[in-house]
Amino acid sequence: MGGSLLKPVILIGIVYAILKFIVPNIPGSAPLPSSLIFLYLMLTTSGIVIFATLSGESKDAFWGPIQRFLTGENIGGLQVLRYAVLLLFPLIVGWQTYSSTATSDAPPAENRTIHPAPPGEYTGLSNPVSKTPDAIQQGKGFYAAFCSPCHGGNFDGKGPAARGFNPPPANFSDPTTIAMLQESYLFWRIKKGGVGLPIEGMPWKSAMPRWEVELPDEWIWKIIMGEYDGAHQSPRTWE
Amino acid sequence: MRHQSGWIQRLLQAGSGQGGMLSGLLMAAGLLSLPALAFGADVSPAAATEYRDIPYIGSRNLVWIVAQLHLLLAGFVLGVPIFAWLCEVVAWKTGEKRYDKLAKEFTKLLTSAYATTALFGGILLFLLISFYPKLMNYLTDIFFPSFIVYCLLFLVETATLYLYWYGWDAMQDGGKKTFHIFLGFLLNFFAFFIMIVPNSWATFQASPVVLAEGSDIARAWAATWNPTWWPVNIHRLIANVVLGGYICGAYAGIRYLSARSTEERDHYDWMGYVGNFIGVFGLLPLPFAGYWLMREIYQYNQQMGITLMGGFLSWLFILQAMLIGVLFLGSNYYFWLGITYRIPGSELKYRKPMLSMLIILLLCLGVWMTPHSLVASLEEARKMGGTHHPLLGVFGVMSAKMTVANLMILVTFMSFIMYWRAGKQETATWAKVARSIMGGVLVLAGIAVIILGVWGYFVPAIIRINYFSTSQVLIVLFVMLTITPLTALLLKSAKTTTDMVWGKMPPRAGYALVLNAIMVILLMTLMGYARSSSRVHWHVYGVLRDSSQYAFSPALGYAAAFMALNTFCFCMIVAFIFWVATMSDKAKASHG
Amino acid sequence: MSEVVILQLIGLTVIGCGTLILLFVRAQFARVIGFVAIVLGLFTLVALSVPQMASLPPVEEKFDIATVKTPTDMATIGQKIFFSKGQCALCHTIGPSESARCPDLKGIGAKLSREFIFESLTQPQAYIYLDYRHEGVPKEYPARMPYINKNPIGLSKNEILSVIAFLQQMSGEPISVNVSELEAPGQAPAAPVKAAQSDPVAVAQAH
Repeated sequence: MGGSLLKPVILIGIVYAILKFIVPNIPGSAPLPSSLIFLYLMLTTSGIVIFATLSGESKDAFWGPIQRFLTGENIGGLQVLRYAVLLLFPLIVGWQTYSSTATSDAPPAENRTIHPAPPGEYTGLSNPVSKTPDAIQQGKGFYAAFCSPCHGGNFDGKGPAARGFNPPPANFSDPTTIAMLQESYLFWRIKKGGVGLPIEGMPWKSAMPRWEVELPDEWIWKIIMGEYDGAHQSPRTWE
Repeated sequence: MRHQSGWIQRLLQAGSGQGGMLSGLLMAAGLLSLPALAFGADVSPAAATEYRDIPYIGSRNLVWIVAQLHLLLAGFVLGVPIFAWLCEVVAWKTGEKRYDKLAKEFTKLLTSAYATTALFGGILLFLLISFYPKLMNYLTDIFFPSFIVYCLLFLVETATLYLYWYGWDAMQDGGKKTFHIFLGFLLNFFAFFIMIVPNSWATFQASPVVLAEGSDIARAWAATWNPTWWPVNIHRLIANVVLGGYICGAYAGIRYLSARSTEERDHYDWMGYVGNFIGVFGLLPLPFAGYWLMREIYQYNQQMGITLMGGFLSWLFILQAMLIGVLFLGSNYYFWLGITYRIPGSELKYRKPMLSMLIILLLCLGVWMTPHSLVASLEEARKMGGTHHPLLGVFGVMSAKMTVANLMILVTFMSFIMYWRAGKQETATWAKVARSIMGGVLVLAGIAVIILGVWGYFVPAIIRINYFSTSQVLIVLFVMLTITPLTALLLKSAKTTTDMVWGKMPPRAGYALVLNAIMVILLMTLMGYARSSSRVHWHVYGVLRDSSQYAFSPALGYAAAFMALNTFCFCMIVAFIFWVATMSDKAKASHG
Repeated sequence: MSEVVILQLIGLTVIGCGTLILLFVRAQFARVIGFVAIVLGLFTLVALSVPQMASLPPVEEKFDIATVKTPTDMATIGQKIFFSKGQCALCHTIGPSESARCPDLKGIGAKLSREFIFESLTQPQAYIYLDYRHEGVPKEYPARMPYINKNPIGLSKNEILSVIAFLQQMSGEPISVNVSELEAPGQAPAAPVKAAQSDPVAVAQAH
């Protein structure tokens, strides 16, 4: 028995090994969180089940041994194993339920929303400063003075002070950050800083200063222009 | 100021309650002579009740359940006529009587289904008037002309339905049948307007427009033409077809599972096939309509767009991806089961293509379900440098999701074509050329969709949204519109090598059909929650604030429990309607 | 127990019941119900395992003159009114937009005097700005400007002045509205008359 069961098990093992050991070692990558690995393994498993039950024969080949094992028909020496499985399974479910409901001192999983919705009064603003090379150059100057210590001179979130922070300063050259957002969104984030975030953005975590106390609005708009230009991104617009 | 004028009214009420009209007047006179209090009177009548509540379940939860059930039933009674009418037209054109029988079987449901829908609509209306007087006043003030239009539409729709259903047997042949088909068209035509009129009320709440002075009709008309009205109309219309198709499939699946005679098994197996086919037919364009709606919402208000896509509702779209993924997998699974069981000897031939399609579907689903912000423990987040994964984070944005959605649609379409061609031998001389053209078109389309998707990361958002995503959609539509007629032409001259055998499907096919229907219903309840909670603490977005104790939006888990409850209740109601409608048939069958 | 845990336990129970039905009941319809229960229970459990975030309404803000010290404070309040109570942003955009139903307000505070803006808000039909964004004869914009100082929007004079301050600030202009122009509530001369208009019955009874 088990010939047709061996392949799926090996396949799941391979997928797990790839996700766990190969993907993190690709340059520029990082270890995957267990939630994501679990998701991909579930997808693999459902794929295996779907493929194995496509026809009568393949279903019998796949399900038959499992059924025989669980019902204890002619499995000889495996009886002990069967009892072990039948006993262990409810225990695992019970333990899982217990451990997920018991109080624990582990910090809850991190699920900070990185781009929460801005307050209504910031959604429709547009940049009052006209886009001239001068203004952009000025903005880059302000950026160098106020922003680059954390967000980096190369707009990559790797400034000299960045190492100390968790969450790390945003990487503007990543196409999934400022390129997804409108200028007014950046204006809100710069002006109000970390403490201005709504609850889902976890205002207590971000170290972004509230720049409205230091910089006039016009400078902030210029910084935004300099940021987009320097990071080679463009803001989301509707034209 | 507000509480002061309330105080005046209470005093007035207290006075008149004791029968002392005069004392009340005196009191009012004395109070009004105080200028500060008189100033307060300019917000009168402020003491009007804004909200009412009921204990234990809470007004919001009750309205939630009733409104969702009403909407699902409405989707059902609007989807089934489309489905029935399509079947009737097929029967009329091809002369296949079983399609006509199927159409009639479903139309029979409509009278009781209409009554149930209207019942829930009535309950909903009474609950809304009782619980939300402020909101209802506001909406009535704007929309009352369309309330009247709505009532009129109901009259004509009901009359048409009665003619359509009771005239079925009487109008079977010749010109009468043509007239009956026309009646069916009228039924759907009125039903469409019955859908879009309330849509305008709901979409006005999400995307209001400013109303200047003018006649009542002008104001109602202006409010009706709000930015998300047409996107929602189209999205719901297609979704209703999907719902009708999959519910038909689920019904057939259940009947198939409990069928005793071979005849019944054959019939319900075939019915499940038709239901699944129509469901998939609607499902293929549905993501496009949803995308359009989302774009309009984003453009209407950045805050609402981000609330949905990146803010507190972003996880909802991961759940949505899961449900849609299961739906796609389930539909394809049913197609593939159909190939292996209904067409004897085809299993080995199609095993490899099925495997590759399955792998593509799963890869796409994996990308679709990868969130932008991941759930990670503190330790894991530190290793990744935040909750974005540096490499897989790129799967979390729209460009990737749009690409995989298009690919999944392409694969499902391939499944369908494969099913269509299975068991037939093309005899045309140009068959080989046609096959290679079709293969080439499919492969090229897939590559083009992927290239546009990857390229989308390197262009400004607006170019991606306006040109790249649109092109992806157009490419997929082009594939469907070229391959479908080509296949039809090819199969016209083909000879059938193995006939389809009905009634041989395994039980899991029946369960797959049920699963698909559950997924569609759950998706509708999920998006109902999304539509409602994307307005956050507003009744009418940005205009009329929700100041009740239920102004908050509950978390997904709590909401999911309600979605599951609503789905279950809806299934039970539909099962009841089917049971009532088929009772007489069963009695006839056992007597006859 | 937290709400999430209770719901998880309910979900698990539902799945358990469904499994029991599938294991021991032979009637097909009951089995399908059991299957549906399992699917719905699983869905609920998945939804409970993702981050749980409720969205709470923000605190309602009131226009309080005592807190307004500088023209910039007025502009901040005006910004909020522009995007909420005043409903300006339902039609107007700041910056060009293809879907604009009204004139674009970018730089409006620099182009128009504050008196003109005030007139546009309170007597919107006095001078109608036409749409010149296309070839040929200029057209009227599709949406008609409502009276901002009357119902249903009904902004007070203070609120309108704040919006003007915001429009000027946004255009990079010095704010010409002064804090001293704001009227404290109760002193507004028009108020008692307005009350009389809106509630004639009470007045009649008073006499």
